[in-house]
Formats: sequence, structure tokens, C-alpha cells
Amino acid sequence: MNAHSAAAPQFFEDFTPGDRYRHARGTTVGEPENQLLTKLVMNTAQAHFNEHAMTAGPYGRRLVFGLITGSIVIGLATQDTASQAIAELALDRLRFTAPVFHGDTLYAYTDVLDASDAGRDDAGIVRFRHIGVKPEGEQMVVVFECERSVLVRRRERRA
Amino acid sequence: MSAFDTAYTLLRKGNAFEDFEVGQMFAHHWGRTLNEGDNSLFTALTLAYNPLYFNETYARAAGHPGVVLNPMLVLCTVVGLSVEDLSEAGGPFLGIDALTFHRPAYPGDTLSARSMVVGKRASESRPGFGVVTWHSEGRNQRDELVVDYRRSNLVVMGERRRERDG
Repeated sequence: MNAHSAAAPQFFEDFTPGDRYRHARGTTVGEPENQLLTKLVMNTAQAHFNEHAMTAGPYGRRLVFGLITGSIVIGLATQDTASQAIAELALDRLRFTAPVFHGDTLYAYTDVLDASDAGRDDAGIVRFRHIGVKPEGEQMVVVFECERSVLVRRRERRA
Repeated sequence: MSAFDTAYTLLRKGNAFEDFEVGQMFAHHWGRTLNEGDNSLFTALTLAYNPLYFNETYARAAGHPGVVLNPMLVLCTVVGLSVEDLSEAGGPFLGIDALTFHRPAYPGDTLSARSMVVGKRASESRPGFGVVTWHSEGRNQRDELVVDYRRSNLVVMGERRRERDG
């Protein structure tokens, strides 16, 4: 496999532990992603939506709600990791490692950690590590990490 | 402080580090019925391209009664409902561990959230803050468990909060 470009994996058989993916799309985070979604999900912390109140604090501006960052990073990875998903099973070790601000752009990277039996013939469990980064000058700053387990359909039912 | 701020009493929101005790339970406010618009908007804005969340024909063929609520929307809403009680007073979100999605949720389902304090300690690196850990659950209108997880935040201590907010 060419390490720099490859077809997207789909079925359980396509995921091999050790595979590493760079997801093709990034997204800039702005008012719709942070302010709209933070309020939509009833998060009442005005650190995410009151620019005036935040000017006096150490960051001087609104912070993106960490789980919106996390949802976008998992979203950016979804077409390539869950296009044949039957269900999202679990998340673990979610870490918010650097602040994200309006105007920042997020990209997602994925390690395949594990591909295991699910006790059924039509699907297996794939465990991923997702890493969310934002460019800052020449650097890529890690803003989010998590592990995620997905029940993924098999291409062919196991005999 | 402005003349308004001195003449009117602040109705403060949220709890400080000292307000939490291990074993304390919170039944969080409001609850939230999630509808198809919530799901479509959240899924589109987070680029979550799994057709279970936005294609009803596909979701029915996969055995669901209609589109499935995006599990990240479910998680964000359960956390959101818990914010005023747990983390609104201020302090960075540190992490979530041991999260399980127990069953799918569908548009029209009403989620509620509850939490128990499972740990607290003063922060060594951040004076004026402590780390509090909770176990939280999100349940549907039939009281079935939909999601549960362990969450930790830095939480501001009362004195630091009074210096900050007046």
C-alpha cells in the first residue's frame, strides 16, 4: 500500500492493526460549529458563547467546547472508519490537550489499534485511535485524542 | 464593575470545588427531547458521514425504525445537561474515560442526565483549582441506560472564584 494515498477502507476485513490514515478533509471551526452546537446540546457554560466575558480571562476570547472539537475530529474520520458501521460501541481516553478557538482549522488522523471478533458472523469490532490537530504556523498542535470501538460489517459473512 | 453590576445581585451559576463530596448524586436539570432537526444539524456540521444518521431508507434497511441519533449528539447533550451542576463555574475539561453506548437512540427520545462524584483532589500544578471526577449516565424516557462514562474537569475553588467574579 502506498503510504501517502490509498482507497478508503470500508469493511471489517479492510482494517489491519498498525494501519495509519490521514483523513482528506479538514474544517475551520466557527460560529455554526461552536456557538450553535454548544447551545443546541444545552451546554450552559458561557466560556463557549460570551466573547465579552472571556476578554477578561487568560485566553481573551471564547473557547470551542471540547466535545464539539471531539465530535468534529470523529466526524472527519467517520467516512473512512464507519461507512459500514452497524453501531458505535465505546469511547475511551478522550483528552483535550490544547484550546481550540474560533477560526482554527481541525484535521484528523487515525491509527487502527485492534480488529477483533464480535461473537457474530456478519461483523467485527475495530478499535481506533483518533488524533485531532490544528495548524499553528509551521507546527501541528494536537488538540484532541481518543480511542473508539466500532462494530463494522464484514464484506462476507464468516462461514 | 458597572453601576448595574453593583446595584443588582448576581444570580451565580454552577458549583465550586468545595461544593463536591465523593458519593454526592446530581439529577441534572431539564432533560432534552432530541428531534430530527437537531440530529441533521449536528451530523452535517460535524461531517459525520454515516448514513444511519441522515438517510431514513438506509437506516430502515439496517433494521432501525428510522434514522438513528448520532451517538456524539447523544453524548454532547448528556454532558450539556450536566454542565451547570458540574463544570460551569470554570476550569478546563480534562477528559472522558470508559464510555459505553448501550443502545441506539432515535428522534423523539427524551434524554436525562445524572451524575455521581467519584473523586476529588486539589491540583498540584494549578493553585486555586481541583480535579473532580464524576460518573455520569444518560437515560431515555423509559429510564433505559443509553450512555455512561467517567468525566474529569479542573474545577475552580471558591476563593479564587470570588476574586475572579466579585
